[in-house]
Amino acid sequence: MLELGSLIESNDGWRLPAGEAGGNGGDGDATHYDVAVIGGGPAGLSAALYTARAGLRTIVLDKSPYAGALGLTDKIENYPGVPGPVRGVDLLKTMRDQALSFGAVYIQETVLSADGRTTPKEIITASRTIRAERLIVATGSLGRVASLPGEERLLGRGVSYCATCDGAFFTGQPVAVVGENEEAVEEALFLTRFARKVHFIVKGHTVRASAELTAELREHPRVTWHERTRVKEILGDTRVEGIRILPSGGSEEILPVKGVFVYLQGNRPILDFFQGDVPELTPEGYVKVNEEMETSFPGVFAVGDLTGKRVRQAVLAAADGVLAALAVERQLRGREKIRAAW
Amino acid sequence: MPLLSAKDREYVRDFFNKELQGKVELVLFLPAKAEEARASRENPYLPQMLELMQELTGLSPKLALRVVRPDTDPEVFALYGVPLGAYPVLALLGEGGVDYGIRFYGIPAGYEFRTLMDDLVDVSRGHSRLKPETIRQLADLKTDLDFQVFVTPTCPYCPKAVRLAHQFALESPHIRADMIEATEFSELANQFNVYGVPKTVINQGAQEIEGAVPEEMFLEAALAAAAETG
Ligand SMILES: Cc1cc2nc3c(=O)[nH]c(=O)nc-3n(C[C@H](O)[C@H](O)[C@H](O)COP(=O)(O)OP(=O)(O)OC[C@H]3O[C@@H](n4cnc5c(N)ncnc54)[C@H](O)[C@@H]3O)c2cc1C
Repeated sequence: MLELGSLIESNDGWRLPAGEAGGNGGDGDATHYDVAVIGGGPAGLSAALYTARAGLRTIVLDKSPYAGALGLTDKIENYPGVPGPVRGVDLLKTMRDQALSFGAVYIQETVLSADGRTTPKEIITASRTIRAERLIVATGSLGRVASLPGEERLLGRGVSYCATCDGAFFTGQPVAVVGENEEAVEEALFLTRFARKVHFIVKGHTVRASAELTAELREHPRVTWHERTRVKEILGDTRVEGIRILPSGGSEEILPVKGVFVYLQGNRPILDFFQGDVPELTPEGYVKVNEEMETSFPGVFAVGDLTGKRVRQAVLAAADGVLAALAVERQLRGREKIRAAW
Repeated sequence: MPLLSAKDREYVRDFFNKELQGKVELVLFLPAKAEEARASRENPYLPQMLELMQELTGLSPKLALRVVRPDTDPEVFALYGVPLGAYPVLALLGEGGVDYGIRFYGIPAGYEFRTLMDDLVDVSRGHSRLKPETIRQLADLKTDLDFQVFVTPTCPYCPKAVRLAHQFALESPHIRADMIEATEFSELANQFNVYGVPKTVINQGAQEIEGAVPEEMFLEAALAAAAETG
C-alpha cells in the first residue's frame, strides 16, 4: 500500500495542472506558450532555436536526450560546421544551449498526451499541463509495437509499459525490466520500492543513461543485472508466469517473474501521446505534412524522422525544424509570406 | 496540517469560483463510527479522504459535504447503490439532488484529484464536455451500463479513462461509472484480474478496455456492451 505521504512527495504535491476547464493562461504564465515543441532531437531543437530567436515564447518538452536517434549515436562526423567525431549527446547539448540562449525553455519530461485538434493545443506531462498556440512534434521514429513473443497477449496481465502506474500490483513479487535507455533505468529503480526482486535485462553490456543512475541501479540490493542477454519469450497463460532469456554464450534460462516492464525501441514514428487521435499518415505510417511541415491538424507541425524521409540525417531533421518554425512565426505574426530570417 | 498547500488551496478556490455554476453535494460513504479505527488501520487513506473532502468543500459555497455511515444511514447506501461494507466511496449529486451515477471508490488523490475537480464543474453545470456525436449516441442508449474504471493515484494515463466514464454517466441516465482505486479495493481488482491501469470493465466484463483510449473507442465499447447485455 502506498502512503499518501510518499505520493505527495513523488507527485510534487497535490498537483494541480490546468485541467479541461481551463484555468491559468495568459501572458507571463509558465503554462502558456506560443510554441510547444515535443522532442529535443535535432529537429525539435532547431525549431525551438528559430521560434525563440523570433521572440516567440517557446518550450521544449523532451523525454531524454539519450532517448532519440541522435542521442544514441556514438560518433557523428558529418554534421556541417561541427568537425567530429562528436558524440550525439554532445552535439545535442550544443544545439540545446543555443536554443536556450535565445530564451527557449527546456524541460526534460515525457509528454503523455497531446490534443492536436483544439487551439490552444494542450500538452500533458506527468507534472504539468502546457497550453500553446502552435505545436511542433519532433519525437523521431524509435517507437515500437509489441514484438516479443507473448508481449501483446499478456499486456495488462503482467506486461506493462508504466511502472509508476502498475508497480503497486507487484508488491513483494519478482519482476523483470527489459530495456537499454534512461527510462528503463528510472522505471526499474521505481519498481525496487515494490518488487521483491527486479531483473534488469539489457541486450548489450551497458545502458544509455547517466553513469550515476546506472550505478545506482546496478548496486541496488534487490536488482539483478543481466547484460548481453536476449529475451526469447514472455511466458504465461492468463497472466505472466516467467520470462525466457538467453545470455550471450550461455544457455536459455527461465526467470519466474510475475511482471515484465518493457522499454525497448523500434523504428516506428512515436505518436502514442496523441492517444489514437493522430493526424493523417502516409501509406507507410509516417506523418503526412505539407511543404511547411504542417500536418492535417491545423497548427500542428511534424518534423524530422517522424515524417519518414528516405534519407535520415541529423542535418535534414534540423532543416525541417527550421521550416516549421518559420511557418509558425508567419501564422502567429499574421505575415503573408515567410520572411527570410537572418 | 492541511492536505492542500496554501498555494493549491488558492488555485482551487479561484478555479471553483470561476467554473462552478449550480450547487453540488458530495456524499461521502464511510464505515460506522465504531469501526473507524480498525478500518483506518486497514486503509490508511480513510481519514485523509474525510479531511480532503472537508478541505475541498470549504473552498466554495456551491459545494456541500454529507457524510453517511452504514449504522446511521443504511437507507442512503441503498438509495445510491453503495454496498454497506464499501468505504470510502464518494457520490456527486447535482442541483436538486440529481444523481448522475458518478462514484469514486477510494481516494481521488494524485492524478485523480484533477478528475474530481473537472467532474465537479461538469456536475455543477449539468452537462459534459463530450463531442456532440457521442452525446447524441448516448442519449439513444436504452440498456443499463455499469462502468468500473480501475486506477492508481500515480497513473498519469488514468484520469482520461475516468473522465470519459464519468461524462458518459452524466449524459446517460442508464450509465453508472465508478472510479476504483485499485490499491484500496484490491479484492475487486483481483476479481477482475487488474494488473495494469487504467482498466475499464463494463457490465462485469461484457467489455473490457485496457489503457486510455479515444472517446470514439470508449463509446464503441459501451455500445458493444449494451448490444451484448441486450
Ligand atoms: C544508430 C544511428 C546512427 C546515425 N548516424 C547518423 C550520422 O552519422 N549522421 C547523421 O546526420 N544522422 C545520423 N543518424 C540519423 C539521425 O540521428 C536522425 O535522422 C535524427 O536524429 C532525427 O532527428 P529527430 O529530431 O527527428 O529525432 P530524434 O533524434 O530521434 O529525437 C527525438 C527526441 O524526441 C524525444 N521524445 C520521444 N518521445 C517523446 C515524448 N513522448 N515526449 C517528449 N519527448 C519525446 C526523444 O527523447 C528524443 O530526444 C543516425 C541514426 C541512428 C539510429
